[in-house]
Amino acid sequence: MLRNKVSVNGLLALLAGLFFIVAALPATPAQALTCQVSPDDIPINLFYNGATLTVTGTSGPGDDLLVKISSTTGDVHLKYKGKASGLFWMKMGNMEFKNVPNVYMLYSTGSIETMVDAAGRTANVLGYDALRAGSTMERTDGVEVEAKWFDEYLKFKKAENLYNVQEGTIVRRHGETGDEYTLTVAWPFQAPPANYTVEVFAVRDGQVVDRASAPITVEQAGVVKQLSGLAFNNPAVYGVLAVIIAMVAGFAVGAIFKKGGGSH
Amino acid sequence: MFMYLPIALTSVNYLVVTGLGLAVGLLSGLFGVGGGFLMTPLLMMIGIPPTIAAATDANQIVAASASGTLAHWRLGNVDYKMGLYLLIGGFVGGAAGVQVIKILRATGGADFLIKMTYVVMLGVVGSFMFVESLNAMRKSKANAGASEAAPAKKSGGLLSKLPMQTVFEKSGVTHSALLPLGLGTFVGVLAAIMGVGGGFLMVPVMIYLLRMPMHVVVGTSLFQIMFTCTEVTFLQAYSNRTVDFLLALLLLIGSVFGAQIGTILGRKLHGEQLKVLLSIIVLAVTVKIILELVMEPSLLLAYAGGH
Repeated sequence: MLRNKVSVNGLLALLAGLFFIVAALPATPAQALTCQVSPDDIPINLFYNGATLTVTGTSGPGDDLLVKISSTTGDVHLKYKGKASGLFWMKMGNMEFKNVPNVYMLYSTGSIETMVDAAGRTANVLGYDALRAGSTMERTDGVEVEAKWFDEYLKFKKAENLYNVQEGTIVRRHGETGDEYTLTVAWPFQAPPANYTVEVFAVRDGQVVDRASAPITVEQAGVVKQLSGLAFNNPAVYGVLAVIIAMVAGFAVGAIFKKGGGSH
Repeated sequence: MFMYLPIALTSVNYLVVTGLGLAVGLLSGLFGVGGGFLMTPLLMMIGIPPTIAAATDANQIVAASASGTLAHWRLGNVDYKMGLYLLIGGFVGGAAGVQVIKILRATGGADFLIKMTYVVMLGVVGSFMFVESLNAMRKSKANAGASEAAPAKKSGGLLSKLPMQTVFEKSGVTHSALLPLGLGTFVGVLAAIMGVGGGFLMVPVMIYLLRMPMHVVVGTSLFQIMFTCTEVTFLQAYSNRTVDFLLALLLLIGSVFGAQIGTILGRKLHGEQLKVLLSIIVLAVTVKIILELVMEPSLLLAYAGGH
């Protein structure tokens, strides 16, 4: 009898212990942030006109997300325009934008300013203000550059389709253990051959809590690669071929027109 | 519909580009101009970087001018002797003009000089041709056919006293060989400064200063442009790697046909009508450049190169 009582008490204690252990654990483990890009290799062939990229992955339940696609940072050299003699608009000199990426695209699940605090935006270079904060501008003649020129720089890059910020474009599906997300990006043909990085940021309570990344390679292929290689590695041969083909084409069409009955 | 250009690093609608080639080739066959002063801005408008637009344009002009030269050679419209003198002058002037630009770029005054040269030269040439052609059309109505029987023209005044007087049988003129050499050099300098083949300058020079008949002017100008643009294409490809052959191929597919159509059309138009048409096009380009100069551009930053 006593022996039975002890074993029942032991079982109850064991069950209570298990209950506390299970209660101490989260109900379901948070899903890790992942990132996949398809295609991750974009060949620039003869009929290339940009590509459609799909960024997919999983994230913790309810986390807001940002996807940043960018090239490595460097210096961009441009000419600035101004009024010569107070009358004519023309290129006046050189301006250098330092520590900026050549390509910068940012997508989010919602308003970036309300999702991430200012410090988080600056630290992770999320948004045009963060880009501005991390860069400097210089004129080759040494004259100080006014802040408005960074706006002109953004305008120039947006017109080239190389800079783009779109809020609310990441689509999420909520699951039991977390979310799945999808982003479709129209990759611009203007983006030059290079290595790019896709970074995904998970945001909770204004803070970046997790990140994942994947690379993309954009490279020339086929005829485009061969012609480019010839132009840069054998410019004399390329130049002679360009002239010969143009002349032959001109004379050949001239001959065709004569055969067509254009006797003079 | 789209094709990627390996040197320009951009994608273009190949039907649009071939159509541009056709339109400019048509002008080439009609007027004997290479069309660089029209094509380069048009290419820039469809997103081709300025330096590549200018260099590739020279490449396609080789095809258009070869096609046009062949058509005009069959018509007996090419004065090879005159073309050769102008060509020699053009090469010398071109080399000198490149040096002028180098010096001006170093001092920072190049862009201003280029723009002003464009406006002044196009404006003066266009206005003069327009007024002169209208007057000639009025006169020809008054006494039709008189000009056909005109004897070979000779340089007058001081020009007739210059040494090396030469008869240019095909054009029916007699000039000192120094005159086409000097004029070729002058046009070569301006063409190098403006970054164009110089056909729209050479044509009025041949008409008004060398007094050549319009149809020989067109054929001879194309003959000269073919060689000038061959040199420019090779130098740009070799020194600057700015010739996009795929782009040139698309343009020349259109331009070689355009040049032939232009030549056939040209036979149906009178010389004065051709001059009026060319002057209107030149003046329209001048107005466009003036508007670009005085109106604030939408983008205040640009890549280096071009005008």
